[in-house]
Amino acid sequence: MPFGFSLFLWRKYRGIYMMDTKNISARLDSIAHAREKYEQNLSRPGAIPKKIIGYFCTYTPRELIHAAGFLPVRVPGGHVRAERADSLVPSFICPYMRAATERALRGDFRAISGIVTSYTCDVACGVTNVWGENIAGEIFKNIPLPYNDSSDSRTFLRSELLDTAEKLNGLGGAFSLESLASSLDLYDRIRELILNLYTLLFEMRLPFSADTLASILGASEIVEPEEFLALTHDFIDEVKGAPPDAYEGIPVIVSGSLVEEPRAFIIIEQSGGRIVGDDLCTGFRPHVPARGKGKDPMDALIDRLLRRFPCPSRSRAVGRLPFLFDLIGHTNARGVIFLFQKFCTPHLADYPIIVEELKKHDIPSMLFEIEETGFAEGQLRTRCEGFFEMLGGS
Amino acid sequence: MEKTQKSKKRLKTAKELTQIITDFYLEGHRAKAEGKPVGWMPPMNGAIEIFYAMDLEPAFPENWSPVCAAFGLTPGDFSVAEGMGFSQDLCGYLRNITGFIYGVFGKDTVPLGGLPEPDILLSPGAGCIPAMKIFHIIERRFPNAKVFYADLPQVAVEDIKKHHLDYAKQEIHRLIDFLTSITKRKMDYDRLAEVVRLSDEACALWDEICSYRRFIPTPISAAEIGIMFVMVTRQGTQIAVDFLTKVRDEVRERAEGKIGIIENEKLRLFWDNIPLWYNMGLFNYFEKMGGVVVAETYSAAWSIRLDVKNPLDALAMKSLMSYPLVSCVSIKKRKEMVLKACREYSIDGAILHRNKSCVPITLGQMDIKRELEEKLGIPSVIIDADHMDERNFSVAQFQTRVDAFMEMLHEKKGIT
Repeated sequence: MPFGFSLFLWRKYRGIYMMDTKNISARLDSIAHAREKYEQNLSRPGAIPKKIIGYFCTYTPRELIHAAGFLPVRVPGGHVRAERADSLVPSFICPYMRAATERALRGDFRAISGIVTSYTCDVACGVTNVWGENIAGEIFKNIPLPYNDSSDSRTFLRSELLDTAEKLNGLGGAFSLESLASSLDLYDRIRELILNLYTLLFEMRLPFSADTLASILGASEIVEPEEFLALTHDFIDEVKGAPPDAYEGIPVIVSGSLVEEPRAFIIIEQSGGRIVGDDLCTGFRPHVPARGKGKDPMDALIDRLLRRFPCPSRSRAVGRLPFLFDLIGHTNARGVIFLFQKFCTPHLADYPIIVEELKKHDIPSMLFEIEETGFAEGQLRTRCEGFFEMLGGS
Repeated sequence: MEKTQKSKKRLKTAKELTQIITDFYLEGHRAKAEGKPVGWMPPMNGAIEIFYAMDLEPAFPENWSPVCAAFGLTPGDFSVAEGMGFSQDLCGYLRNITGFIYGVFGKDTVPLGGLPEPDILLSPGAGCIPAMKIFHIIERRFPNAKVFYADLPQVAVEDIKKHHLDYAKQEIHRLIDFLTSITKRKMDYDRLAEVVRLSDEACALWDEICSYRRFIPTPISAAEIGIMFVMVTRQGTQIAVDFLTKVRDEVRERAEGKIGIIENEKLRLFWDNIPLWYNMGLFNYFEKMGGVVVAETYSAAWSIRLDVKNPLDALAMKSLMSYPLVSCVSIKKRKEMVLKACREYSIDGAILHRNKSCVPITLGQMDIKRELEEKLGIPSVIIDADHMDERNFSVAQFQTRVDAFMEMLHEKKGIT
């Protein structure tokens, strides 16, 4: 399995710091196993006793899907060499979308009933529609999110989300504002837990490293929210009570799009860095803010979506900078490592502007692109070692 | 065959286009000198009619890119953009415009004077990601320009509902209010109605011109696609209507007189995706084998008729439809459109340009390819290239693929 080895690696490389954290280790095992089970079940129709709806982008209002009685799952990509996918999509789209398409064609997602995903990038939109033409499923829908936050845009989005809910009800769903309130509560609690873990990461008080945190986040995107919350009940207290990971490295932020492969984090840390925060689609960004406000659950959902920590698909580079600088300042990071999916237009287009601004503040950075073949580990290691040496590491 | 070359045009009226293009850019600079507000905007939305109705000067950075390609400015622009850190994997329009505004912009040596400096930027929240990012970069380069942060639902044409239209209309009202507040020019709604009427007339003429493609031999080919310039830059003006009327008359005359693009038309071809702006001569390459590129997808964006009785509704609908119709936002509709064109124009084979600079149009191409074969028995060939960056185009590979494809079509049709 694409992620099955994460825990193994974590133990191998960081086990030395986990001597007093057996309970946490057991929890992490449970979370990893749950994630693995759900991922395996995506190819087994009926194994999960619920309709599963996939999504690509974390701007998707998964609470809406859940409120209809379905399980929203971020479609995993992983390390797959795309061969069959060439019959549907070009080679110059991000490896994630190619891998997901390859796996869909292989039958890895037979249990997924369709895709409901927010329109954030051209590729996610196009691939959703290509799947609609080629992959079995009942619904393939892009949700157009407004770019502006105004009363008009909120009214529009409300209509759009209600329209989406109606479509989900047409598939046998049972969406209501009451069910949305319950689903929002579940996901809000998950986000709060994750943000609490991030607070500890920022303060270097986590008893484990960023790759492990990434694995927990990965599980939260696929495991039933009720089950995920049960698996992580009181987890934060245990984590707070455990001795922090004492690993010493140069503090850095990782910024980019999807990083499904925690191995990249391990390599960064083995090369002399310590990841103290991130600005990733699969990391911190989609969880901020944890809750939205509004006169009813739909308004709260909209409020959160429109006030989210901005991603380059939906905002200007200059709009993202204050958040990034805030993260850097808060964590005392000494540099930024950009990890982009190859061909990711939103990130590549913002990159020169972000770097220019970082330079003005004497914050060094490096860029590494994730290719279809995955990480060129040696290359990433060499680049990171050079980067940390330049930053004054050993 | 050269890597960069101009197309051979057969229409007399198409040759008049050079003057229209020159006039457009001269007018922009004159307007700027006279203090008329100049606004930069993306193409394919209803803002152009609003600008003409309010007597403001529109300019189109995206459309400037093909002009740069024609004048050979692109490699220099790319060099500037890539030197700034913009990846070669980014859309060629984005790199070209970035390089242009940070490079030769404002210099006397720029052909046609280039783009006049903007007072207003209509920065889109819709269209493709590169179109949005282009404007983010432009905003940074021209910090004194007033920015309208536009927003538009990105939705498949077949899924447009009342709430999409309502929001698009609200955005048009917001744009009018914004322009009024910064230019102190009020919208004259009678004038807007007239502009929309002219815009619709241009669309009707465009449709009529395209309809003559059904004639065998075809009186017009994709090599003449440059006439689209008036649809991008002059929609809503008498200039567009007058020019297209002349084109229509000439095309009609050729159709009635059975005057084809080439003497002995043997194969009728379809082109999917944006042309190679630096090598429009490619359209003529097929001619030595009796092939004519009769039609192309890109021109469909200008075929949207407007409801002249409801100008604001019409502009909202145009804004919602134009981009999705030719991109992966509406793969179903686009596929239908291609199949319909291939059926109506008696197409023998399709050339699918797998365009590294345009993912939104390239996505969905494989579905078009399959359906052309399965439903109409029309074979197709994929050409790997790039509409702006000649470095992503191999002449040898193109020739090898196209020659074999044309040979196969000859055999299929029993042409000796």
